[in-house]
Amino acid sequence: MGPLIPNDIITGDWNFVIAILIGIAFGFILEASGFSSSRNLAGVFYGYNFVVLRVFFTAVIVAMVGLLYFDYFGWLDLSKIFILPTFLSPMILGGVIMGVGFVMGGFCPGTSFTGIAIGKTDALFFAIGLFLGIFIFGEAYPYFANFYNSGNMGNVTLTDVTGIAAPWFALGFTVIALAAFWVTAEIEKKVRKNMKEYKF
Amino acid sequence: MHVHERNPKRTLITILLFALVIVFGWITMKKPRFNYALTPQQTVDMVINHRGCFHPYELEKVLNHKGGDVILIDIRNNFDFAKGHIPGALNITSVNLLNEENIKQLDEWKKNNVKVVFYHDDQLQANGAWMLFRQIGYSNTYVLLGGYRYFASYKDNLKQSEGTCLKGTAKYDFATVAKKSVAGFGDVSTSKPAKKVKVRRKKKEKAASGGC
Amino acid sequence: MNRNYLFLTLLMLVLAIGTFFIKKDDVYKNQIKPETLLQVITQPSRYVTTDQVAKRIIEKDPTLELIDVRLPGDFDKFTLPDAINVPLKDIFTDKGQDNLGIEDLNVVFFSNDDIIADQAWVIATRLGYKNMYVMKGGLNCWIETIINPTMPPETASEIEFEQFRFRKAASLYFTGGSTTQPVSVTKAKVKVRRKKKEKAASGGC
Repeated sequence: MGPLIPNDIITGDWNFVIAILIGIAFGFILEASGFSSSRNLAGVFYGYNFVVLRVFFTAVIVAMVGLLYFDYFGWLDLSKIFILPTFLSPMILGGVIMGVGFVMGGFCPGTSFTGIAIGKTDALFFAIGLFLGIFIFGEAYPYFANFYNSGNMGNVTLTDVTGIAAPWFALGFTVIALAAFWVTAEIEKKVRKNMKEYKF
Repeated sequence: MHVHERNPKRTLITILLFALVIVFGWITMKKPRFNYALTPQQTVDMVINHRGCFHPYELEKVLNHKGGDVILIDIRNNFDFAKGHIPGALNITSVNLLNEENIKQLDEWKKNNVKVVFYHDDQLQANGAWMLFRQIGYSNTYVLLGGYRYFASYKDNLKQSEGTCLKGTAKYDFATVAKKSVAGFGDVSTSKPAKKVKVRRKKKEKAASGGC
Repeated sequence: MNRNYLFLTLLMLVLAIGTFFIKKDDVYKNQIKPETLLQVITQPSRYVTTDQVAKRIIEKDPTLELIDVRLPGDFDKFTLPDAINVPLKDIFTDKGQDNLGIEDLNVVFFSNDDIIADQAWVIATRLGYKNMYVMKGGLNCWIETIINPTMPPETASEIEFEQFRFRKAASLYFTGGSTTQPVSVTKAKVKVRRKKKEKAASGGC
C-alpha cells in the first residue's frame, strides 16, 4: 500500500486489510455506476450506452489532475508511486484480446464479480470462463514467454518517454474526455431512438 | 435510464467535492518561510571561487570609520561575547539567527546594501551560518577569515600574518611527509594500499514488481 | 442539454489548465528546510578528531566511509586508506550523491584542513543526507597528530601520554611499520553496500 509499507511506516500485515477496504470501495463504485450489467457494458460497442467510457474517462482525468495537485500540496509523493513496466507490443495484443472478450462476454474481469454479487447468471459463466482462461494461459505460458516478456521499456511514464511535461497530458486527456462525453451523449440519443426496448 | 443519469446532481456533488478538496489543499498549503535562492551548483561555485570572504585587513577600515556600510555579527554565545569581541560587533547567537526580529533586521541591511560579516572563534564555526544565509538569498553576508581568534592575536597589525588565516591549503606535501616517517620501518611502497577503491554504490531506484 | 454537465465540463477544464501553474522543481526533492539546516549547522557534533578517525580505520570499522573532497590530483598523490574521492564541485551531482546516504555507513569528509570538508558537509546536509561528519583539522592535522605526533611535555597528564602512545602506534600502522597490515587492508573491504531506497509500492489495477 502506497509508500507506507515499503518504508516501514506500517507493517506488511496491513496489506490485506487495506486491500479488502479498497476492494469493497471499488466493487461498490462499479455496481453503483451500473457496471454489473453486461448490456450496459457491451452497450459502448453498439452505441446505445456509453456509461463505461464516461466512468473510466472520469476516473482517469480526476485521478490524473488530482494527483498533480496532491503532489503540489505535499500530500503525496508522485515519485514514489508504482508504475507498471511497459511492454509495448505484448500490451497492445493483450488489450485487443481483452477487448474481444469484453464484446463477447459483456464483462471485464472485475465487473463479472460485481455481476455475481447481485446474482447475474451470465456473470457467473463469465467468471468460470475467466478461470479457465487463466488456467490455459498458465499451461501454455512457455510457448509465448518470449513474446510476453519482449520489449520491456521499464517503469516509464508518458512524460519520461516523450519529454513533454505532465500538465500537457493532463489537459490533453481532459479535453479528449470532455469532448467524448458530449459526442457520445449525442450518439446515445440517436441510437436509442431506434431501439424498441432497453432495460438492464 | 440508469440511476446515475436520472440524478445528475449526484455527479455534480461528487465533482464539487473534488474541487473543494483541491481548494482546501490550496488554502492549507504551508508557505515556507525561507526558500533556497542558490542551487547546490551555485553554492559550490560560490565557495570554490571564495566569494563572500571578508579578510581581516578589511576590518581596519571598519574599525576606524565606525560602522558605516559594514555590520559585524558575533554568532558565538553571549558568554564568549562578553569575554571579548571585535569592537562594534553585535551579538546574535547562531541558533537565533533565523528569529523573526533578526530576519527583519537582516532584510533591512540587505535592502540598504549593508555588508553583514559573521564571525565565530574561527572561520570553520562561522562557515555553516554564512553558507546558510548565502543559500537563502542574503548575498550581502560575508564570513570573517580567521575568526575572532585571529583578530585577538593580531589586532594591532591585522595584515601581518594574513597567510595563517587562509584555510583550505595543504601545509605539507602529504605524500612525502607520510613516506618520510616510514624510514626504518621497512618497505616504503607498502604505504600505498590506500589506493584501493571500494565498490560501495547506492542502489539505483529499483522497479517494484507487481501487476494486475 | 443539461446545465449541470456544462458546468462540470468547465470546472474540469479549469482544473486541468490549473495544473500548468503548479509546477515545482523536484530536482532536489529531499532538500531540508533552511530552519532545519540552521539547527544542524549550529551543532558541533559533526566534528570528529583525527584520533577517532585513525582508531576506526585501524579497527577496520565497516561502518566508516571516508570521502576525500580535494581535487583528484591531490587524491592520487595521498589520501587516507580506503577513502573515496568526491571533489567538492561534484558533491551534488548524481555521481557524487551515489556515495552519500548509504545505509549504516557514517560518512567522514576530509580535505587539506576542515573548511572545504565542512562546505561539502553543509551542501550534502542541505540535500537531505544524514550520518555525515567532518574530520576536524583535516589532513594537515592528520600529519601533525597521527603521522608525526609530538611528544607531550613531561608535565602533561597521563591521558595525554596515553594519547601520544596511541598516535605513535597509529603512525607505525599508517606508514607501513608492519608489512602485514597493508595486505590485510586491501583484503578487508570487499563488501558491497547498498543504500535502502524509499521503494515505490508494488501493485496493480
